Amino acid sequence: MMSILGFLLALVVGVFVAPILGGLITGLDRRITARIQSRLGPPILQPFYDVAKLLGKEKLLNNSWQAFCAYVYLVAAATSVVLFFMQSDLLLIFFVQAVGAVFLVIGAMSVPSPYSQIGAQRELIQVLTYEPLLVLVLAGIYVHTGTFKISGIYALEEPMLLKLPLLFLVLGYALTIKLRKSPFDISASAHAHQEIVRGVYTEFSGPYLAILEIAHFYEVILILGLVSLFWSTSFVGMLVLVALTYLAEILVDNVSSRMTWRWMVTSAWAVGLTLTLINLLSLTM
Amino acid sequence: MQAILDFIKSSRIKSPWLMHFDCGSCNGCDIETLACLTPVYDVERFGIVNVGNPKHADILIVSGTVNHRNKKVLANLYEQMPHPKVVVAIGACGLSGGVFREAPNVVGGIDKVIPVDAYVPGCPPKPEAIIDGVVLGLQKFAEKSLA
Amino acid sequence: MHSTLMFILIVLPFLAAIACAVVPVKQVRSAVVVVTGALLVVASLLLIGKVPFETSFTSMAGLPLASMTQLADFLLLGFVLFLGWKHKHLGIKILAGAQLVILFALEAFMMDHHAASMAFVADPLSLTLVLIISIVGSIICIHAIPYMDNHEHHLHLTISRQPRFFAWLVVLLGTMNALVLTNDLLAFYFFFELTTLCSYMLIGHDGTEEATNNSVRALYLGSMGGLALLLGAVFFQNMLGSLEIQEIIKLAPSAGYAMLPMALLCVAAFVKSAQAPFQSWLLGAMVAPTPTSALLHSSTMVKAGVYLVLRMAPGFVDTTLSTYVALFGAFTFLATALLAVSQSNAKRILAYSTVSNLGLIIACAGINTPAATAAALFLIIFHAVSKALLFLCVGTIEQRIESRDIEDMHGLFVRMPVTASLAVIGVLTMILPPFGMLMGKWMAIESAAANVPVIMMLALGSAITLLYWARWAGLLMSHPLQGGVTPEVQPKLTKYPLVALCGGAVLLSLLSPWIYSALIVPMIDMVNLANPQAMFEAPYVTSKGMLGADSGVFPVAPLFLVLIVGMFLGLRVLKNAQGAREASIYLAGAQSRTAQTPDSFVGPVNQPVKVANANYYLTRLLPEGKVTCWVNTAAVLLALLLVVGGL
Repeated sequence: MMSILGFLLALVVGVFVAPILGGLITGLDRRITARIQSRLGPPILQPFYDVAKLLGKEKLLNNSWQAFCAYVYLVAAATSVVLFFMQSDLLLIFFVQAVGAVFLVIGAMSVPSPYSQIGAQRELIQVLTYEPLLVLVLAGIYVHTGTFKISGIYALEEPMLLKLPLLFLVLGYALTIKLRKSPFDISASAHAHQEIVRGVYTEFSGPYLAILEIAHFYEVILILGLVSLFWSTSFVGMLVLVALTYLAEILVDNVSSRMTWRWMVTSAWAVGLTLTLINLLSLTM
Repeated sequence: MQAILDFIKSSRIKSPWLMHFDCGSCNGCDIETLACLTPVYDVERFGIVNVGNPKHADILIVSGTVNHRNKKVLANLYEQMPHPKVVVAIGACGLSGGVFREAPNVVGGIDKVIPVDAYVPGCPPKPEAIIDGVVLGLQKFAEKSLA
Repeated sequence: MHSTLMFILIVLPFLAAIACAVVPVKQVRSAVVVVTGALLVVASLLLIGKVPFETSFTSMAGLPLASMTQLADFLLLGFVLFLGWKHKHLGIKILAGAQLVILFALEAFMMDHHAASMAFVADPLSLTLVLIISIVGSIICIHAIPYMDNHEHHLHLTISRQPRFFAWLVVLLGTMNALVLTNDLLAFYFFFELTTLCSYMLIGHDGTEEATNNSVRALYLGSMGGLALLLGAVFFQNMLGSLEIQEIIKLAPSAGYAMLPMALLCVAAFVKSAQAPFQSWLLGAMVAPTPTSALLHSSTMVKAGVYLVLRMAPGFVDTTLSTYVALFGAFTFLATALLAVSQSNAKRILAYSTVSNLGLIIACAGINTPAATAAALFLIIFHAVSKALLFLCVGTIEQRIESRDIEDMHGLFVRMPVTASLAVIGVLTMILPPFGMLMGKWMAIESAAANVPVIMMLALGSAITLLYWARWAGLLMSHPLQGGVTPEVQPKLTKYPLVALCGGAVLLSLLSPWIYSALIVPMIDMVNLANPQAMFEAPYVTSKGMLGADSGVFPVAPLFLVLIVGMFLGLRVLKNAQGAREASIYLAGAQSRTAQTPDSFVGPVNQPVKVANANYYLTRLLPEGKVTCWVNTAAVLLALLLVVGGL
């Protein structure tokens, strides 16, 4: 009985609360970014206004497959968040989220527009860059806790961060790429740098762009959830860690210029693999 | 359901994404338009975001005279914007062709090619005037229902 | 009953091959192929209820099997020697000559022939392989019937060479079944050599210069594998006094130096599975007609290699050799995935991906825990089905668009909606949950997580795999919103195999928890029986369609529920999207406004210029030649380490 209740709770929180929270965090992100640039910035609720407006716009498509892909991206993102709240298998959650990443790329590639195509190729390279790092972080968690299940992490006596400090840095590196923040904002070109217009997002418009935005809200929650696991022993510690990490992401986003994909792959793998190796060896030795 | 529709309607005016197209301007108007986006004027306060893609845009800001070469481009961009959408013409050239209106290669103002909802006169207009024009455009934007 | 099943699985294909070769009537040949395929499917399904069992025959259908095999072995080697002489290939001559001498020495001086019978063991591992060979293999053979007609039509042949082609194709099915069922290492060696010969015959089928060269290379490298296998057999006979595979597995862990012949067997397996540095023969094999590639070079024959490693794996649990096998497999997985990135030729992508996945299976065999073994078995099953589907799709596409380059497949959905959709589903079953391949990979990563070098290579390799698959699936699907898609008519014998494989890939994934309890748990019990020291426990428990363990959980059935509900809603989204306004692509406003020139922009002199897009192949970062050079060097070193480490 308890487990059914738990399942329903995870379902409700995962499906309904998570995107709202994700939207608020995105709004906060824009606000803080504006403050860093000595502007006032939009209201916190701005992401919701944007999504609502997009939902009310005319449907404009190149092909219907695009709509399908956007929708699969949303479902995959939501499923992975629900699985996260059900304290399921981390590796599995990661693979489910990869379904969304793949379908975003496939959707963008289904349109012969050069901007969307190049965006898709770059997005694939971003996936290529962060995926091994995230898998290795999860492997490190397994080596430390003996399980890939999130419940295993909550059973720990002391925060994981103390044992896996380098892997936490790797996670941060990978998440900057996953969140498409500068210096790795190369596939979707947010903000003012628009040499490939909006990259993977270029050919999605109106309600379909709104779907992608909502999926992004889910992803923000998944990512921050992953970060929070590193201080699983106290709620306050969790909040502080998440807040600090996200602030660091925003700061990096604002102070760095964009790099090429070659630099991204080589630097991320060089730094990430070295740090992983050191941390994993120190755990297994 | 009605509440959601109302929220969508009220959100329209709070989230105008604008696209700026230089249709053969001398760049005077463009510099003033971009000035709106700087920290001094900070139009993101009102949810305004500058996008580079008509498919994401709600408001098309056009500066400069239309000529026979770029009128197709202007029409293409307008056509690729999803409804509802508004057009704001900026500067003397955008309004009527300006000093170039008699030139053989010039078609005239923006409204010769696409419907214009708000006109911002000036050569160039001040950023405050442009913001004012956008706000006027927004009111029309809110009135336009889904076509 | 056993003998009837064995007869159908092993001898019948040979008889069918003779019929194919002798009767020149197309209808008869097609009927023979279809009927043989159907019988194989039925026989292999009937085998499910019977395993495990051991049986041995002194004769089958009145023929003395064991002595016939011995004789055939010498004839086969003599034939290979002749081929070496015919192609003036010194390497083949030396390898075949050496094998003849060694085999003679082994047979004449080292073995006693009082028990001249042929022993077969059917356990869950061989059953799995038999099912793949008989079902997937038959489907491929049936697909080949219309394919070869088209193929010969393109080549403008006056005399059909199909009798020969189908004969060898069907022979392979019987050979493979015998190979996975036999319990005698020497018989295994014979069938191993016979698959090499099949490969040679089928690669060289078209008779072009390239085909001949590549077939000779396959024969050459295959003979290397044969030599390694034979040497291993000699050592085993010498050390353990037995060539029975089950005996070897039981005795090897406690016998000194038994890891050296084990390592030799592994090397033979690497050759057959085209692991680096031997991958060149498999890439060369892609010149052959697509059914050959599908049957021999992806879903069945190359599985003989991984089968050998998996079969022997209980014999080297917890040894240095096992560690090196895991390293070697993981390295090949990563290295060939890297090589696949730079390819735009669809068949080469499939070839590299095959090598890569076989590497992953070998890595699992090397990790050698129950969970890893389960992963290996899942990977074998699902790889066979999905890869066969993809090969057959590429073959069908190639005959229509006359190109294998994926860059020519942009927007293929418009021209071939059925085949393109099936190919996309095939790709998705290779890389995404909740499908079986991904579950196998999930198990592999979870069981390798504590092995630092292996997990690092698996993590990198799996990301690279995603890259080269996703970009292919992406470009197949572009199509206009309304109309424009031309309906596709396929011959029945093309359509049914494709649909069957596609349905199989999806359905088997759904059934994976049950496959686990029906095949993999008994297999782990068998391992315990063979090697009591191993004390393996079933790694996962299944409940409510979920695979769970302390280390992780894979909710297969719930994910499929999400998939089904999601698809149902997804189709509504698709339908809903039909009402959307059709937009042209964004080309900075410069798109051409006429319907005759879609996807074009107005270029110089007001002329429309079509937009051209291409994938990133990272050729500057990963040039194929240079990477191959590095990979081969590293692989040779690893293989040497493996043999030396065996000592």
